[in-house]
Amino acid sequence: MERRTFLKGIAGGVAALGIGGTVGRSMPALAQEAQFPDLVAVRGESLPAMFDRALEALGGLGRYVKSGQTVLVKPNMGWAVAPELAANTNPELIAHIIKNCINLGAKKVYVFDNTCDNWASAYKDSGLEAASMEAGATVAPANGSGYFQEVEIPGSQYLSTTELHELYLEADCVLNVPVLKNHGGAKITAAMKNLMGAIWSRGPLHRKGLDETIPELLLYKKPTLNVVDAYRVMLSGGPRGRGDSKYLLSKMLVASPDAVACDSACAAIMAGSGVSTPDYIANAAARGIGVADLSTLNIQRLTA
Amino acid sequence: MQKKPRPHRSLVWVRRAAATLVLALLAWGLSSPGQHSAILAYFPKTQFGQILAGLVSSGALSVVLLFLAYALLTYVFGRFFCAFLCPLGAALDLLALLRRKARPRRFAFKPGALWRGFAPIAILLLLWAGVTLPFGLLEPYSLLAGKSLSPWLPSVTLAIVLVSGYLMGRAFCNSVCPAGFVLGLIARDSRFRLRLSEGCVSCGACERVCPASCVSVKDKALDPGRCVLCLECVSVCPNGSLGYAWAKRPLPRAASERRPFLAGLGLAAVIGAAYATPEHLRAGIIRERETYPVLPPGAMSLAHLNAHCTLCHTCVRACPNEALHPCPEPDPALWRKPVLIAAKGFCQYDCIECTLVCPTKALVSITVDEKHVFRLAQVRLKLDKCIVVTNRTSCGACAELCPTGAVYMDEGRVPNRPEPFLKEELCIGCGACQKSCPVAPMPAIWISGLKYQDMLAKRLERPEGPDEVLEDFPF
Repeated sequence: MERRTFLKGIAGGVAALGIGGTVGRSMPALAQEAQFPDLVAVRGESLPAMFDRALEALGGLGRYVKSGQTVLVKPNMGWAVAPELAANTNPELIAHIIKNCINLGAKKVYVFDNTCDNWASAYKDSGLEAASMEAGATVAPANGSGYFQEVEIPGSQYLSTTELHELYLEADCVLNVPVLKNHGGAKITAAMKNLMGAIWSRGPLHRKGLDETIPELLLYKKPTLNVVDAYRVMLSGGPRGRGDSKYLLSKMLVASPDAVACDSACAAIMAGSGVSTPDYIANAAARGIGVADLSTLNIQRLTA
Repeated sequence: MQKKPRPHRSLVWVRRAAATLVLALLAWGLSSPGQHSAILAYFPKTQFGQILAGLVSSGALSVVLLFLAYALLTYVFGRFFCAFLCPLGAALDLLALLRRKARPRRFAFKPGALWRGFAPIAILLLLWAGVTLPFGLLEPYSLLAGKSLSPWLPSVTLAIVLVSGYLMGRAFCNSVCPAGFVLGLIARDSRFRLRLSEGCVSCGACERVCPASCVSVKDKALDPGRCVLCLECVSVCPNGSLGYAWAKRPLPRAASERRPFLAGLGLAAVIGAAYATPEHLRAGIIRERETYPVLPPGAMSLAHLNAHCTLCHTCVRACPNEALHPCPEPDPALWRKPVLIAAKGFCQYDCIECTLVCPTKALVSITVDEKHVFRLAQVRLKLDKCIVVTNRTSCGACAELCPTGAVYMDEGRVPNRPEPFLKEELCIGCGACQKSCPVAPMPAIWISGLKYQDMLAKRLERPEGPDEVLEDFPF
């Protein structure tokens, strides 16, 4: 890896900085012009079909993924547990997204996560390694600091630097595809919190406060699109899940280029079952990283 | 005229290749232990020192059978193990070769002596009593394959052994190594052996290259008990008078050699006593202690581990989370025993890898389902140090990683900042909470070892009834 990838990473980072700074913020305006909604929520029986329906409403995946691009699909695969327990993103959904990216002419599709459980077990037991490889993606390791590069976070108040995975930096397009669930420390985990699997040291975030630092992970480079698997939502015992974890059969998928809007919608799903909303959503909105007030957004509610 | 023994020069190259291969294989395996665990698992299963230790400490049937197989083969062929299969032997021979090139005055015959048995017998006796320190320091596999948090002590002893190899050849193998000692006892009467024939002109070439100092040109004799079958003598004999052949009749022995009856009796006594003595008595040397280390799953207790563990460290290298390490504490009952160090890694909930690879059943077999309630340690929490309390920020890293629900977050003293609580009856002591705790240098939550590992009486059950169902869009 080394020098060339590193330079590419830097180049990608710099490019993303430019795009993230301009396009990222003007995306709602752009979407309004084209009559695309800010956020789409789809209810249905099959996550791949719900994804297709959501992207159709958002103007097609081709709006985000261009031919010849390097794409990162970032699931939550942090846990060495079976897919049924919904601690990791649904493998069928991830495989479906990868195939769509390849059909659109993506040069390379990468998948990785800096796992919480042992990385080899988590990659395997989540079913995501096998599903991603079969769909044509390259499953990359993220189990050592050598895969990460330190970056300075522009406009940060708490985290001056963090180490982002080189593929997160290199990717032309980042599809952030988490699973929605309850979280013992952060209350809920969805789009923004999923980026803690794209960095190396999580200790500083815990030390300085998750509510304050999670939004800052989006300051360097935002995901291009966020797609949240909210089909079967873990309500207690998260993020790993325990023997007595309760679930909400929500049968929903939430998609938006705005991670804050996604998290706000997800918090609304959880709130109905008594899970309280984390401060990091409001904090992110207050810092202009996205929009948390759902009443101001153009939301499309669909059924697949 | 007596037929000359065949000069087995090609065998010399076979032996050199085999020794190089073993050394290279071990070096390759050790270069990245996680990836080559199959290679590393092979070593303790076939290394005679490990088999011997297993025999003395556990007496498992597979170990007994392997011991008998080695004993039989050694009786027929001599100490082939020391020449062909032992990586330390290969390293020592390499150094002896260097010395041969570097210095004209090389090796010379030294008589065998009874004292050569003292150190090996003492090492085996102590191992049987649960004191693994001398064995851990000196046994070839444990020496070469150690991966330790404090590697300096094994490194020092390894360096001393290697220097001894340069200066004295295989002296270590014949006066310290328990494996070499036991194989030597058997090989004394081996059927195939090296011998000097009538054609020998007493030129002394063989004596000067023999790293075991077991060839006496004066007596035209070779001590097969100390001969490690390195075959270097065969390679230098100018007229093919040294050969490896079937010994039809009693051959002359080196002059001062004595049959070490006492040594043999000592070994038999050790093995006999090992079988006869109950485990808790054998481990009696372990003093009562206030704190116990966290042992790998299936170790049951320090007494059980000490009675069966041969320090092969296969479990240490098999652990995918790098949670197991040789114990760095300078305690004779603990030093270099496999222990779980949660600061380095935690015991993965669904993983039983270490129990599967243990060659002596020092780690007893448990199923994945049993592992879910298998208690290695107990959790301790110092809430005053927790950053939710000290920094008033959200954290929950400990509860996040906890697989059983023993650590959970709930409203505590800081409003809207859930803090950790314990349900100790659910804790299996995996150490995931300790590993993830961001408080430094000492974590606010940690695990402490138990005298006896056991199974939890309860586990969390799935809630009754189907999942809650969302009726409509909530926004």
